[in-house]
Amino acid sequence: MITSSLRVSALDFSAATGWDPKPQGMCRGEVCVPSPGALIDGMVDVEQAAKSLGMPLVHDDQHGVWALGSATATGRALSTAVAADPTLIDRDGNPFKLSALHGRKVLLVAWSTY
Amino acid sequence: MALDVEPAHTYQWIDAAGPTHPSLIDTRHVTGDLFGFLNIPMAIWIDEQGVIVRPAEGASIERSPMRDIEIPEGLPERMDRMFREVKSIPDDSAAYRAAILDWVTNGADSRFAMSPDEVVAASQPRGDDEARAAACFELGEHLRRTVGDDAAVPWWREAHRLFPANWTYKRQAWTLVTTPEGATENDLMQGPNDVYEGNWLDDVVAGGGGEHYVVRPALDPTG
Repeated sequence: MITSSLRVSALDFSAATGWDPKPQGMCRGEVCVPSPGALIDGMVDVEQAAKSLGMPLVHDDQHGVWALGSATATGRALSTAVAADPTLIDRDGNPFKLSALHGRKVLLVAWSTY
Repeated sequence: MALDVEPAHTYQWIDAAGPTHPSLIDTRHVTGDLFGFLNIPMAIWIDEQGVIVRPAEGASIERSPMRDIEIPEGLPERMDRMFREVKSIPDDSAAYRAAILDWVTNGADSRFAMSPDEVVAASQPRGDDEARAAACFELGEHLRRTVGDDAAVPWWREAHRLFPANWTYKRQAWTLVTTPEGATENDLMQGPNDVYEGNWLDDVVAGGGGEHYVVRPALDPTG
């Protein structure tokens, strides 16, 4: 997640990280990680959430932006088998969410031109 | 789904394939972060309920013709060595393709479909270095788009240092500096350059050679 502020809306945090800020903590699928003080009035304290989820926060001083790394709470790339739902783009540049394919089996193959 | 920072690079390949399925593009490599892709091709399987039943793993569907070619004599030394390393990359394509078809037919009863706990446990290791590398790569890509190519370099170099096993971070960066301007296809040699410390051949050799280049799918329960 790229941000120029360490307070972001819960909606933006969820869309960027796949973790839903809830009163009981940061949640994805059936997993909720307690994160006291991270969610206040619909806004997320990014530093607090990052600490709870084990997400490194790096800062580019010159350009005034932060990037939030992956969660390390489980020590694995996946914290839950429930698939994250990032917004990607399709061939024509339109936003596409993987959840649009619910109801079908999905083979998500990563490839590249390099 | 293409892991490419420039969508336009992918168009000729997508259009040539004429796919009937969605063809997606991930310009920030967020799926690498979210699912554990660290090289290509890799894949995950997601069932009808949106639950992953196999985590990120090598996903060659067809045997590459590169594996069976005779290496011509007299090639430049680096190219000759590249061919030899490519030919030594393990080929699991037939077994992987068969496993997909088994899952399509049998669903959750397929012996290749894992339980949620098995999926999490079999997903790629993720420590602070790997997580920090993801942040550095994304920050570099953000600065490349908003400031310019040079602004990305220190962050991408740091991502490479923190997570040397992540080939998508490295190959993406190398390609952008080794492909000549105006070229219609990327430079696949990804050779030594003045911007980044590594390059494809030397990094493959440093990692133990082609046989260690891919995350092999664990398809044999006894293996």
